[in-house]
Amino acid sequence: MSRPDSAVPLLSATDLHAGFGSHAVLHGVDLEVRDGDIAGVFGLNGAGKSVTMKVLAGLVPAWSGKVEYAGRDITRLPVEDRVGLGVGNVPQGRQVFPELSVEQNLRLGAYQLRRRDKSRYAPVLEQVFQRFPVLAQRRGQAAGTLSGGEQASLAVGRALMSEPRLLLVDEPSAGLAPKIVEELFQVLADLNAGGLTILLVEQNVTFGLKLVRTAYLLRSGKVVYSGLVAELDRERVVTELGIGRLLGAARPNPDTAKRRAAPTRTITNRSPSMKNTRKPRSLGEAS
Amino acid sequence: MSAGPVSVSRRSSGTEVAPASPATPVPQSSEPVRRRPLLTPRRSNILLLLAAAILLPIVTAQAMPLAFTPTDSLVLAEAVAFAIAALALNMLTGYAGQISLGHAALLGVGAFASGLVTSKAGLPMWIGLPAAAVATGLIALVIGFPALRLRGLYLAMVTIAFGFAMYDSILRLDVFTGGSAGVELPRRIWHDTQFSDQSVMLAVALVALLAVWLLDANITRTRLGRAFRAIRENEAVAQAYGVDVARYKLVAFVLSGALAGLAGALWGHAVGFVNSESFPFDISLALIIMVVVGGLGSRVGAVIAGLAFSLFPVVLHGIAWLAGLDIMVGALLLMYTVSRHPGGFAEVIGEARERRRERRSARVQTPDDDAITIPALPRVTSLRTSTAVDPLAPVLEVENVTVRFGGLVAVDSASLRVPRGKIVGLIGPNGAGKTTLFNTISGLIRPTTGTVRLLGQDVSGLPAHRRAELGLGRTFQQIGLAKDQTMLDNLLLAQHLEAGYSTGRALAYTRGVAAAEEVMEARAREAITALGFDGREQTPVKRFSHGQQRIIEMGCALLTDPELLMLDEPSAGMAPGAVENLAVRLNDLRDSLGRTMLLIEHNVPLVLDVCDYIYVLNFGQVLAEGTPDEILAHPDVIGAYLGEAAG
Amino acid sequence: MLQALVVGLVTGAIYGLMALGLVLIYKGSRVLNFAQAEIGTACLYVAWLVSAKGHQPYLVGAGAAILTAVAIGLLFERFVVRRMTDAPRLSVAVGTIGLFTFLFAAEIYFFGPSPRYLPAPITGLGVQVAGIYVSPTQMVSFAVIAVIAGGLAAFLRLTDFGLGVVAAAQDAAAVRLVGIRLSRVSMFTWGVGAALSAVAALLIEPTISLIAPGVIGEPLFVGGLAAALLGGLSSLPGAFIGGLLVGVLSTEIQFVASGRAIPGVSSLVLFAIVAGVLLVRPQGLLGSANLRAESGS
Repeated sequence: MSRPDSAVPLLSATDLHAGFGSHAVLHGVDLEVRDGDIAGVFGLNGAGKSVTMKVLAGLVPAWSGKVEYAGRDITRLPVEDRVGLGVGNVPQGRQVFPELSVEQNLRLGAYQLRRRDKSRYAPVLEQVFQRFPVLAQRRGQAAGTLSGGEQASLAVGRALMSEPRLLLVDEPSAGLAPKIVEELFQVLADLNAGGLTILLVEQNVTFGLKLVRTAYLLRSGKVVYSGLVAELDRERVVTELGIGRLLGAARPNPDTAKRRAAPTRTITNRSPSMKNTRKPRSLGEAS
Repeated sequence: MSAGPVSVSRRSSGTEVAPASPATPVPQSSEPVRRRPLLTPRRSNILLLLAAAILLPIVTAQAMPLAFTPTDSLVLAEAVAFAIAALALNMLTGYAGQISLGHAALLGVGAFASGLVTSKAGLPMWIGLPAAAVATGLIALVIGFPALRLRGLYLAMVTIAFGFAMYDSILRLDVFTGGSAGVELPRRIWHDTQFSDQSVMLAVALVALLAVWLLDANITRTRLGRAFRAIRENEAVAQAYGVDVARYKLVAFVLSGALAGLAGALWGHAVGFVNSESFPFDISLALIIMVVVGGLGSRVGAVIAGLAFSLFPVVLHGIAWLAGLDIMVGALLLMYTVSRHPGGFAEVIGEARERRRERRSARVQTPDDDAITIPALPRVTSLRTSTAVDPLAPVLEVENVTVRFGGLVAVDSASLRVPRGKIVGLIGPNGAGKTTLFNTISGLIRPTTGTVRLLGQDVSGLPAHRRAELGLGRTFQQIGLAKDQTMLDNLLLAQHLEAGYSTGRALAYTRGVAAAEEVMEARAREAITALGFDGREQTPVKRFSHGQQRIIEMGCALLTDPELLMLDEPSAGMAPGAVENLAVRLNDLRDSLGRTMLLIEHNVPLVLDVCDYIYVLNFGQVLAEGTPDEILAHPDVIGAYLGEAAG
Repeated sequence: MLQALVVGLVTGAIYGLMALGLVLIYKGSRVLNFAQAEIGTACLYVAWLVSAKGHQPYLVGAGAAILTAVAIGLLFERFVVRRMTDAPRLSVAVGTIGLFTFLFAAEIYFFGPSPRYLPAPITGLGVQVAGIYVSPTQMVSFAVIAVIAGGLAAFLRLTDFGLGVVAAAQDAAAVRLVGIRLSRVSMFTWGVGAALSAVAALLIEPTISLIAPGVIGEPLFVGGLAAALLGGLSSLPGAFIGGLLVGVLSTEIQFVASGRAIPGVSSLVLFAIVAGVLLVRPQGLLGSANLRAESGS
């Protein structure tokens, strides 16, 4: 395999338009991920993060635009075929197979690998078990009985079983306690240090910006700000994400404080005659 | 009859407006303002039926022999009977969403019942037919009760079992059926007078079809039909609007059974004789095909499909070279049609209609969520007589509620209270148990231990719809609306409890029912205007964007004038600008109208801006509680849950 | 009584095969295949054509029958089921009713209502075990069913694709992420499901001794359906065990009630049991608890 050319991005998206039914969500998204980099896409709910990830993964077709991977146009390629090219997926909500054992989940993750070269299975499985000892401990247990954090490890492990070159991770922190998220992010950082290119989509900006090297900020289906995290203007991040004004409420606000200090309001607009038990008056015939 | 004070005031967008004037009784609108119309819907229905009953037999007796043989009339009469059966099944499966694959047995019950009444007891047909309807309606309860616990495929299985049991066993018992000799169904008018004219039989069937059609129409335009459709789409949402789901399911089964019995009896009288072989399982399958191909929930589709299915083989028989192949061709056509148009005729017609409407009116813009601002939320002043509720007593008290699912403890001894006129927030990470606690408060889940008190009353054992009656309103995370229904229908559904009339009156569509419907529609339209959706009331809710659906849902919840409004992640999916607007509206609801609210939220800045008191939940337990300032300063809460705000 | 047990077990195992096909298709497409038994029945006619009329050995006829069944299953999957991935399941069920109607009508059109007879593949004396007679046909049936059921179980558990089929029933979207096409899974479930139907029909034919429209299909479908429900529609082993239960129960009931006044009592009792079980435990005797949510309650 030729040495990765750092001038050519491993993954790139150009002018992506996509959505559901007739409802457009992405209005021209551009991004690229260099080989060896760890990048993140951020934005509030409704901004289009999930759809972006799904288009890049191949789960949702793009209406227009291009997705390229390792110099190859994969826009029309469905997800099943991208796996064989080295694109791994850790979906939102983990989506492990609940009634299968941990080991069976991992074996399925190696589906394409085993079709290519069965002998690689045992060493790759061993590597995954070393990285996630808890999975080795619970290898015979049904995946549905694992805790949230363990399932997250399983989902990552399953994706690693295909020996991917690029890992797409969709909202890894969703539904996990902060401590678990920190551990998970540490794993991702280690994987990246070992040469795995990672692109993640994340709702928690604080945690996410600590992990990634390059960031893309999405708003209303477009990238509004991007760059190396070290060079980003924090104030601008907050503004571009649109949480500025409400963020002010977190700091003491004289109006808010005044309102809260006021005595309980009497309710003036109800009928002054206080009758007994509440009974809905019907519009239908009363008699 | 009085409709109570109704006033929905409209606000101009964005400005603070003085609270609406105190509710004053408004005189019944129809009396002084305009004359009550002479021809109400109910009167015209009755007139129509009478006219049909008198004229149709005469007309058909004269007209049919001109072009058709008596056998043709007979075949048509049977087809009409099946159309009625299709309407009956459509009511159950298409409206209420309960699958039945045992309707053939119900047809059989009706036929045998009428047969026994007319031949064994010697009574006239016009007693036999209603008797058949009543008997079958009651028998239908046998499958109605399992429907309270089962759904979908499993319910279908029980209905198949019922059908087989009836066919193989019960209907073969001598006492009912006279053995395989069967039962006769004479067309007795009085004592020994019978009519043998096939075209008169056809007329009778047509009159019955008309009656059933009108009944069906009365169902769909009253709260009965809306309740059915709500049950079909989402039972939890139906309960939140006060629909007693169990009761309405049983009503659906009884009505559907009664009409199926009528259809079976008509068919029996047309043919003259039924035995245990007359209603095999194939007929249940044929009925389901009719209803699906016609389009689930479409009256027109059911009748057309019913007629077409019965007449199709007859028509094909006429084409000589096709003989024998007719069923095969039909089956291939069926497979083709259902794969291309799973929603049946009705779906095809509905889509064409929507395309025409879209071309005519402005294109339904899918606006940037950024652009959505709520001009105003409907400000419904009280419809209900106010209560002696102590304004200082909390509206909601939750005491040591624990919810256990098998071995998993979802909520662990949580307590909270919501004082009147305040907004209380419930925050915490995903999986903390917030939604479970919410569902326990609203009645969808029973607590394992602990009590929930609404307005001082212990409601822990009450089902959700009873709590709605007491004044609990809520929204849902996945948006609690009947998404296939129009916006107007949803706003009418929300007023289910206000409507108040009984099922019987709804079926008859009395004057009172019509008046109530009118008032509810007026309120709904005012709400639509207040929300800024003028002109879009006939659009199905699913066509709106997520943010817009949230607004519609809030409008529906407010229309019920709840004592406590529970909001489940109201800002989810909204753009920042819309969230700011939402904060303003929520504050206004509390400040101007004194609304009490409990909300689950992930958007911490919103919670801090709007709430008077906050509970933080984690791992099912209340981790911390206090005013926003106290929560901000709480050490456990900051790092863990305020990641975004900390920036 | 014990003799009836043997018959019941063999019949039950055949119902079990039918139930396996039903459950496999349900797991794959979330729909009840109303044509499940009729596919097998129609293919019996193919066997008759090849073996009786074409004077080929029994196994050749049986092979042709199974291949025809697979073809029917694959065609239906390709042209109906796959077009309806987002359609309501009730509509897909209606599609299977269409298939059932088509096959039934085709049988009548091409072969007429008069019965046909397949030459018995195995003749000869059976064995006596503890006073119970077991015929050679029964023994062979047992063996065949054991091999097929065992083979299917092994395939699903041990091969990668088989594991993928099982996983697809739990989370279809995630299965795509590991690189398995859902269309392949669907083709597998329908092809194998149809083949199971043909095998079941071939095995039950000697018991009924004739081939005629409806005569074979109905008891097979009823028995298979009851078995699938008892076992819980999500569980393949449950379906098979359910089949054995149904077979034994219905044979014993018929044995006990023969000659009594109540007509159709065995199917009545059978369905009462099924309905009862479903009401108490909606996910069936062996189904998983999370199916409870799907079933209602």
